[in-house]
Amino acid sequence: MNQPLVKIEHISSGYFSETVLKDASLNIYPNDFIGIIGPNGGGKTTLVKTILGIQPLFTGKITFPLGRPAMGYLPQISQIDKSFPITVRELVGSGLGAKRKWFPHLLKSQKTQVEKLLGEAGLLPLASRPIGELSGGQIQKAFLCRAIINNPSLLILDEPNTFVDKSFEKELYRWLEELNRKMAILLVSHDIGTISPMVKTIACVNVNLHYHPSNQITEDILKVYNCPVDLIAHGSVPHRVLKEHDHE
Amino acid sequence: MSEFFSIFEYAFFRNAIASALLTSVLAAMVGTYIVSRKIVFISGGITHASFGGIGMAYFLGLNPFLGAAIFAVFSATGIEWISKKGNVREDSAIAILWSLGMAVGIIFVFMTPGYTPDLMTFLFGNILSVTMAELILLAAFCLLTALFFWIFYRPLLHTAFDPEFSQIMGIPVAFFRYAMAVIIALSIVISIRAVGIILVLSLFTIPQITAMLFTRDFRKIIPLAAFWAALGSVMGIFLSYFLNIPAGATIICYLTLQFLLVKLFVISKDALKRQGPGKVHKG
Ligand SMILES: Nc1ncnc2c1ncn2[C@@H]1O[C@H](COP(=O)(O)OP(=O)(O)O)[C@@H](O)[C@H]1O
Ligand SMILES: [Mg+2]
Repeated sequence: MNQPLVKIEHISSGYFSETVLKDASLNIYPNDFIGIIGPNGGGKTTLVKTILGIQPLFTGKITFPLGRPAMGYLPQISQIDKSFPITVRELVGSGLGAKRKWFPHLLKSQKTQVEKLLGEAGLLPLASRPIGELSGGQIQKAFLCRAIINNPSLLILDEPNTFVDKSFEKELYRWLEELNRKMAILLVSHDIGTISPMVKTIACVNVNLHYHPSNQITEDILKVYNCPVDLIAHGSVPHRVLKEHDHE
Repeated sequence: MSEFFSIFEYAFFRNAIASALLTSVLAAMVGTYIVSRKIVFISGGITHASFGGIGMAYFLGLNPFLGAAIFAVFSATGIEWISKKGNVREDSAIAILWSLGMAVGIIFVFMTPGYTPDLMTFLFGNILSVTMAELILLAAFCLLTALFFWIFYRPLLHTAFDPEFSQIMGIPVAFFRYAMAVIIALSIVISIRAVGIILVLSLFTIPQITAMLFTRDFRKIIPLAAFWAALGSVMGIFLSYFLNIPAGATIICYLTLQFLLVKLFVISKDALKRQGPGKVHKG
């Protein structure tokens, strides 16, 4: 049996004395593509931050049987100060660790790496712009570049499809499918309709966590999971056409 | 014209200009950080809390700047600590610190027997009386801060922008946050010498927002803010000398006027651009 990348066992977490996530368990395997859904305020962001180690663990444990993996993280855009004077190039570069502790500037090779990724993402013309001048989709793209530049084995995306247009969304999903060949992905969304064709399995988070080992889910199951989310969000999404994704 | 140049023969005037230039560079670096992180209000709290230290130092017969520095550093690191804990209304805590610092200062100054020399210097600054020793201290601190900014530019920027992501990247976030709290506190206290407690924050914000009319790139804001601050404070000193009005207040008024004029210039330039080049040539 294949070992999980991350083993989450009966964890609870929250803010100060308030517990917002209770007794959650989940295994993340190297090729997983898990959609994390749930109502607003259900604890999705808290869960991923706990996995990333930036949110305290109240009880339970998180272990990494294969060793602590490199993790890429795209935070929920509402938590970002978009007026901060940082350029796209600097933002993407911030995903690379410093090689020299006492002189933490990027090496030449790292700078080349940044330019290369900016080029692949089509962000090169915007590289010197502050992030405040970008559109919603361009910002998400820049943050995605920051998340993946370090070649993580676990990529965590918190609602990357907010404030973006349809064409960017399509591009994003193509990109994620590609990335999933190399890394496990945790995709948070409150919009199951759009993400369900792409993810392989689903975790419903509303204080508790219910793991659903398929990407097809019905109203009745959501009710059992106590996870009130709209199945048909943003108009018509063909979330029954799923077979084509069984190529793995 | 000869009168204009003859003032440079005075050491006090040369010191004042040197102090204005160095303070401008220091305030440009630290102020850009303050404005970018939107912690202007925190910095105001630190500034006013330092008055408590000045009062206490008077009372104990110590150097008032030492008292101010100690109070400023403790309040800056204290605020950083409170904001990390996060379950206290940070703005209320700062407001309390702000007024409590002033109150403590006033009580101690009142209790200090006899005359308290230079009290007005701390409130309003006196750049025309800067000594050589003070100038050397200012230059040394400015240099150290510049080195710190240059070497640790990336972690400083990243921990200011997104501390959580920085933590994931393994950057010692707390170290940089606290180091900046100390640098902010000391920069403010050192700059009090030039423009005084009541006005010092303007030096850390007005040139920066003037610079941000042109660029939103942290790396470029610093030199541009230094330029606007230097221009403003040198102009302020000249005006104050020839009009015989207080230098600190003149500098701040000039900086504000400068900001408004530059803003007006930028707005009308944008408006002309929107009208299209054809119309501009006709006029
Ligand atoms: N920084 C915070 N301080 C206090 N409570 C918070 C904080 N962030 C989130 N919460 C609370 O925790 C709960 C879960 O929030 P979150 O994990 O952001 O949910 P989701 O991402 O599913 O919308 C909500 O009730 C929210 O109010
Ligand atoms: Mg969230």
